[in-house]
Amino acid sequence: MPNDVVIETRNLTKVYRDFWGRQKVRALKALDLEIRRGEIFGLLGPNGSGKTTTIKLLLGLLFPTSGRALVFGRDATDVTKNERIGYLPEESYLYKFLSAEETLDFYGRLFKMSRRLRRQRTAELIEQVGLVRAKRRQLREYSKGMTRRIGLAQALINDPELILLDEPTTGLDPLGTRDMKQMILDLRDRGKTIVMCSHQLDDVQDVCDRIAILYEGELKELGRVDSLLKVHDVTEIHAKKVSDETQRQIKQLIERDGGELVSMGNPTITLERLFLDIIEESEAHPGRRVRGGREA
Amino acid sequence: MIVETQQLPFLEWLQSGPLIWLKVVGTLALAGLVLGYLVAALRNGPVAALGITRRVLFSGVADLVLISPRRVWALTRLAIQDSLRRRVVIVFVVFIVVLSFAAWFLDPGSEHPLRLYISFVLTSTSYLVLLLVLFLSALSLPNDLKAKTLHTIVTKPVRPSEIVLGRMLGFTVVGTLLLVVMGLVSYLFVNRGLAHTHEVVQADLTPVGQAQAPSGGLVPMKGFSSKSHGHRHDVLVDAQGRGRLEMAQDHTHALVCTTSGDEVAYEVGPPEGLLIARVPVYGKLRFVDRERVEKEKGINVGDEWAYRSYIEGGSLAAAIWTFDDVRPEDFPERLQIEMTLGVFRTTMGNIVEGLPGSFLIRNPKTGLTVEARIFKAKEFTTDVQYVPREIAPTNVYYLRRETIAGKEGEEPQVKYVREDADAATADKAQFDLFEDLSDNGRFEVWLQCLAPMQYFGAAQADLYLRASDASFALNFVKGYFGIWMQMVLVIAFGVMFSTFLSGPVAMIATVGALLGGLFRPFMIALATGQTAEGKVFYGGGPVESLIRILTQQNVVTEMEAGLRTTVAQTVDGVLQFLIWVMAQVLPEFGQFGSADYVAYGFNISGAWVAEHGLSTLGFFVALFVVGYFFLKTREVAR
Repeated sequence: MPNDVVIETRNLTKVYRDFWGRQKVRALKALDLEIRRGEIFGLLGPNGSGKTTTIKLLLGLLFPTSGRALVFGRDATDVTKNERIGYLPEESYLYKFLSAEETLDFYGRLFKMSRRLRRQRTAELIEQVGLVRAKRRQLREYSKGMTRRIGLAQALINDPELILLDEPTTGLDPLGTRDMKQMILDLRDRGKTIVMCSHQLDDVQDVCDRIAILYEGELKELGRVDSLLKVHDVTEIHAKKVSDETQRQIKQLIERDGGELVSMGNPTITLERLFLDIIEESEAHPGRRVRGGREA
Repeated sequence: MIVETQQLPFLEWLQSGPLIWLKVVGTLALAGLVLGYLVAALRNGPVAALGITRRVLFSGVADLVLISPRRVWALTRLAIQDSLRRRVVIVFVVFIVVLSFAAWFLDPGSEHPLRLYISFVLTSTSYLVLLLVLFLSALSLPNDLKAKTLHTIVTKPVRPSEIVLGRMLGFTVVGTLLLVVMGLVSYLFVNRGLAHTHEVVQADLTPVGQAQAPSGGLVPMKGFSSKSHGHRHDVLVDAQGRGRLEMAQDHTHALVCTTSGDEVAYEVGPPEGLLIARVPVYGKLRFVDRERVEKEKGINVGDEWAYRSYIEGGSLAAAIWTFDDVRPEDFPERLQIEMTLGVFRTTMGNIVEGLPGSFLIRNPKTGLTVEARIFKAKEFTTDVQYVPREIAPTNVYYLRRETIAGKEGEEPQVKYVREDADAATADKAQFDLFEDLSDNGRFEVWLQCLAPMQYFGAAQADLYLRASDASFALNFVKGYFGIWMQMVLVIAFGVMFSTFLSGPVAMIATVGALLGGLFRPFMIALATGQTAEGKVFYGGGPVESLIRILTQQNVVTEMEAGLRTTVAQTVDGVLQFLIWVMAQVLPEFGQFGSADYVAYGFNISGAWVAEHGLSTLGFFVALFVVGYFFLKTREVAR
């Protein structure tokens, strides 16, 4: 495992069985992934596609049926890897009877942080997520957005190298969403690796460097966001200092051809369109990889 | 109170107890490992299973050895906060309400008020606390799994061992705090409930005999006190004005008499002897029959529950207690012998007076024996007899130990033969208990029944020497320590079961395991076909018993040979093995309670505390490890 690979899955498979050991569902099928240091990686897929299962396998919350999941080169079930990980679950599963300060203090204790450091980190993070005025209120009194913020703060208490975010913008208002996205980008800028899964495709498009699209437990697409969204049979030209004459000639050429110039260059489709195309195509042709070879 | 099981000295226990623990835990660990390998082999093949088993074993050892006290403390704090959030203090409020109402219906005038009060407070405390910790321990982890709050914890560098230990310790802290507060309140409640005094007035006293008072002096008086707490006492006052209120409801009062002119005033002190913690010194019991031939047991008079063995009255038969290491400083003036004898009458006799009996004291080394005291045995109550340090005996002789040939095919027997004392010894007026009759603190007390055709029944714990009393308050604390140990067992079982069962099922499993422990002797008898006393346990295993019930077959008849019997007994063999295993791992829950000791006024020995404390620790550690492995091998997010 090269040094800059933070997460590696090899043939990672998860089958859910019932009490009698009979197979209920094959949630993940032979997933091979490599996530590198310093990137923001998005896991996309419809409900039941295996993205949360993947996150849970990476965290050791589930055990693989076959294959391996390695985080920082260690088996995902090894708890010592958690020293370097932060995790924001889909819903912030926190103790409602604790206040924000107590919550961060408790999780800080689990990292064996000194009292001084806990106080310092708690104050910093509460400031960072904008909960200064509510820091002494019990979490049961928090709105969903506030709960997400304190959830993110607990995920960052140990200043982790790898942050796993499950639906980070769920429950946040547009302002909160913007702040969250900015925070994710800032973390990336500080060298952190971020893995997120989300249904908010525009959020993913805004922040992710690379994405993987899963459908029914299979990897359907993997690559850089900008590469995946590029339309290959259309040319987009960005040019500076083009004279009026040249512009006129280009326009004439197009008009001569019976067309109308709207803009020049490669137009992009939305991530949502791409996502839906893949899902529809996957439903039409099960078992076939929809689009390949786009890895940048 | 009957102490049926003899307390082993701590050092003696220490040689066997931990060894048994190691054997059981080691066997279970090995069985778990083999089972784990088999499951892994079924799923992944035999070779891969070896690697998995090795990995689980190594990571398991690491998880158990590298536990971080700081993380455990963080999780302990969380469990405490969680418990407080669940309003555990309500239990304390309920306790106070129960005590408030109890003051109405607990009758301080009952025959044994201490038993009543202590049994009540200890029972109500244990029910409330045990029920509370049962709920807390069995529901906490399943609730966290359901609410998924555990997901956030296990994604931190927390070992499953720390989660299990943190829960166990957290609930133990909560329960301990509650017990401390409830114990303090209970102590005050008992003290206040039993505190009383009486009035003694001149009019209720009459002179003893026709004695005339010297000028300005007093005459011995007797009479009775005023009624208080449902009872009154007989009063005796001597000529010096010193007096006592005689024993009633297990206590007495001091009485001080002051005179002022013709006026005599009596001042009664607080109850004495009520809040006590006797320190019994137990001896080892054996018997001799009517010919003084030594026997392990006496006569069985047909009791189904053959706890006591009987000795025949009007014969040489005796029950003999041998006491070791009795120190003169513990008994400076006299031996106080307390006993609760069983009496079996073949004729009614004088039912009011009681049956006459005698004590012989024998030096086991020299055989010198003195008849120390003749007494009337009280039935059904604890009788107190005194043997002075300087004994002026009614009879002195030697009882020499001789070995005689046994009956055909039997071992040789020991017989005690009487030999008259030499003149110098026989004429000696007094014998010192420790100098003449003891061999380095070792002596024998022989109990004989003097009434022909009647029988005394005795068990080892029926007769003991009472040394100076221990502190009642400390004994009360030890009584609460008994509840504390039971509480720890409930917590350990509850948390262990909750690592792989849902909350309600974990609760039922915990109650089942602890109730199962109450039937441990029965389970062992069923599994081995032999009772603890070595008798045959008839009826076979569960399947054979069922067949016998269905076919209305007597338990002692042989089963008809054939396929059915072979199959039944083979299945029984497996079931009996499983029952035997269960009996080995379940604690005898009732044995950890010590309420009866406190209620009946017996000191709980340090050995009892140490042995049961260590046993509790043994169960705690074993259940913690089992709970850890269950949590480790389960998928938290399933």
